[in-house]
Amino acid sequence: MLKLAWRNLIAHPIRSILTSASVCIAILLLCLLRSIVTTLDAGIEAASATRLIVMSSISLFVDMPVSYQQRIEQVDGVDVIGKWQWFGGYYQNPRNFFAQFAVDPEHLFDMYPECQLDEEAKQRFLSTRNGCIIGRKLADDPNFAWKVGDKIPLVGALFPHPDGGAWEFEVCGVYTSSAANFDERTMMFQWKFFEETLRTSGQDPGVGVFVFRCEPGANVERIMGEVTAMFENGPMSVRCAPESEFQRMFISMMGDIPMLLGWIGTAVFVALLLGCVNTMLMAGREQVRDIGIYKALGFDDVTAFRVLVTQSLLLCVIGGAAGIGLTLALKPGIAAAIAAMFPVFIVADETLIFAAVLIVLLGLAAGIVPAWRASRMKPIEALRAEH
Amino acid sequence: MFIPLNYTVRSLFVRKAATFLSVFGIGVTVAIFAGVLALQQGFTTMFTSQGREDVIVFLRPGATGETDSQFQRERGMKLMKSLPEIEQTPEHGPLASMESYSGVLRRRPDGGEVNVAFRGVQQATFTIRGDELRIIEGRNFTPGADEIIVGKKLVERIQDCHVGDVMVINTTPFRVVGVFDHDGPFVSEIWADLERALAVLDAYGPNRVIAKVKPGTLIGDVNAEGGPDPASLAGRLANDTEAPAKVLTERAFLESQTQMLGGILLGLGMALAVIMGVGAAFTAINTMLSAIASRTNEIGILLATGFRPLPIFVAFMLETLLLCVMGGLVGCVLVLPINGIETGTMNGQTFTEVAFAFRVTPVVVGAAIFFSVLLGMIGGLWPALRACRMTPTAALRRT
Repeated sequence: MLKLAWRNLIAHPIRSILTSASVCIAILLLCLLRSIVTTLDAGIEAASATRLIVMSSISLFVDMPVSYQQRIEQVDGVDVIGKWQWFGGYYQNPRNFFAQFAVDPEHLFDMYPECQLDEEAKQRFLSTRNGCIIGRKLADDPNFAWKVGDKIPLVGALFPHPDGGAWEFEVCGVYTSSAANFDERTMMFQWKFFEETLRTSGQDPGVGVFVFRCEPGANVERIMGEVTAMFENGPMSVRCAPESEFQRMFISMMGDIPMLLGWIGTAVFVALLLGCVNTMLMAGREQVRDIGIYKALGFDDVTAFRVLVTQSLLLCVIGGAAGIGLTLALKPGIAAAIAAMFPVFIVADETLIFAAVLIVLLGLAAGIVPAWRASRMKPIEALRAEH
Repeated sequence: MFIPLNYTVRSLFVRKAATFLSVFGIGVTVAIFAGVLALQQGFTTMFTSQGREDVIVFLRPGATGETDSQFQRERGMKLMKSLPEIEQTPEHGPLASMESYSGVLRRRPDGGEVNVAFRGVQQATFTIRGDELRIIEGRNFTPGADEIIVGKKLVERIQDCHVGDVMVINTTPFRVVGVFDHDGPFVSEIWADLERALAVLDAYGPNRVIAKVKPGTLIGDVNAEGGPDPASLAGRLANDTEAPAKVLTERAFLESQTQMLGGILLGLGMALAVIMGVGAAFTAINTMLSAIASRTNEIGILLATGFRPLPIFVAFMLETLLLCVMGGLVGCVLVLPINGIETGTMNGQTFTEVAFAFRVTPVVVGAAIFFSVLLGMIGGLWPALRACRMTPTAALRRT
């Protein structure tokens, strides 16, 4: 049976190849679109359960006073706390976008075990006033090609340098990340340097977010409630939430885009189905006489049905498998292309399984109509059919 | 002599099922491409169509947008008062206004959260805007009061945006007193009095200054090679020692705010077009090869009656083109219902949500038809070559 189906496909090599190739392309596209959505959600799943975030209740646009740190620390059960501030500078041209943060270095290494850096680099970072660490992907970016010891001048778009020039940071180490939510295209530098530099012109920097960890066994709900209540009457009211909720907020900001990607995926599938049905109808029409012969030889309707469905399945499985293979092969390239926006590009097993199921369904759906037609045909009519 | 067009058209209608499936398959492909393009068009036209050439925007030097620009109040005042280019009116003085800009985290009706643009304005803003901005429900806010007006597109997209609702920002409850309409991006913003906005945001000064300039003012282009013309307003203020500023026309400013998302959408559209286009071209090739195979006899007759290979090539090329253009038209029809559908996403440059509608503009339709013609050219070439290279005897002999 398989052999017969295969022979029929080979009889029209061009058509079979083209159809398989379009299945391959469609599956590739479908996998990529789904993977974008997976990638967006990855941050939520990888979020740490032990880290809590405090931000202004207004939005991330607004800073909190530095003095909040001591007050949060005093809440019973709060263990380690650190500051993060979005620097928003750029290197030479605003188009060269990457994230920079002023951080408390000791707390960074303590609270973010996913940020991996060798001990020597850590010490160098801690002891260099204008030191910074950069992620592997940022260091490898051909536009920058920074290495340890390099000086990076950044224009402080959000925080202009008091002397009017650029901020200068010295690369002390290149970190790698072991988790999906910790970006390797980020630069982090010392809060102290940031604050002291701005102070020279009388500016008082605020804090974008505080990240803290609770003591083991502490009641997280109570702590979140106490932190929020503490600043309820100002001067800046805050919101305190687990890291996962913080990540979810970012996804929510993408608005309708993930939904639109889903729609595009569906439309791709419809276009693909139409193409396959078309091919199978053509194949069915051409094989009418063959089917007449099988029937005349005594094969039953089911056999005739199976021959066509098997062909359709074969076409789709070959094309689909190639599509899945191509997705996996292209993954590193795509990950590099979107690195500026997404820290990782994840092709989940679920996506591949979903694609595989879809391929089989597609093969069945495309084959059924012509197969049903063929199986219902009387042998005498089929034999009489003109080619 | 060329083969009558009639032959081409009729041939397509003989194979109804195959033609229908191919046209529809190509149509869906074109529709996806056109849909993404309509999204990009909706987004960019919302920003660029409203940018005025007679209104200028002052930002802090080095700033890329309102979010990373900030002025001390005195510097902002100095800009407004000292520049002779700014238009003056007897009743309002200089037509210039300080504005603050921030994002406020609000909930959607479904519970998701988004950053909504929150703008604090001085009364002069309304004078500069004139009829551009229309209050369509309720009234404008009273200066100094904890009142806000919201853009029309927020009313259904964001919680607490109906007239009479109360929105708490930081610790201050603001009452929604009106809804306004605007054809540009302001329609997804919340507006309040500048003084009240600065107070709740705990900010020390505005993010930008806008002004209406006198006709004929040489504004200058900050993005020009080697910097703006030193004689222009932009050139003069870039190097001003007391109150330096980056000066752009409003149109240039709005354009600069669309580059990221506009570029992403355009890139997505192009990538989809290329990938799906290959698939659609395959469909066209398949259909045409099958058509040629089943019409080998006809081709033999045509050749035998004296038609040269070129007319046969043209006939089959035309048939493929027709097939694909019909697909293109179906695609346009499929994409038409999305025209005007509201959607929204975060503008990566401002980190706030913009609501905009799909716009199936003539550009979109033109691009869709062009795309389908291209598919026809690519898809038809090989089958047509194959048809015209047949020898009459061989073609006639095949059954």
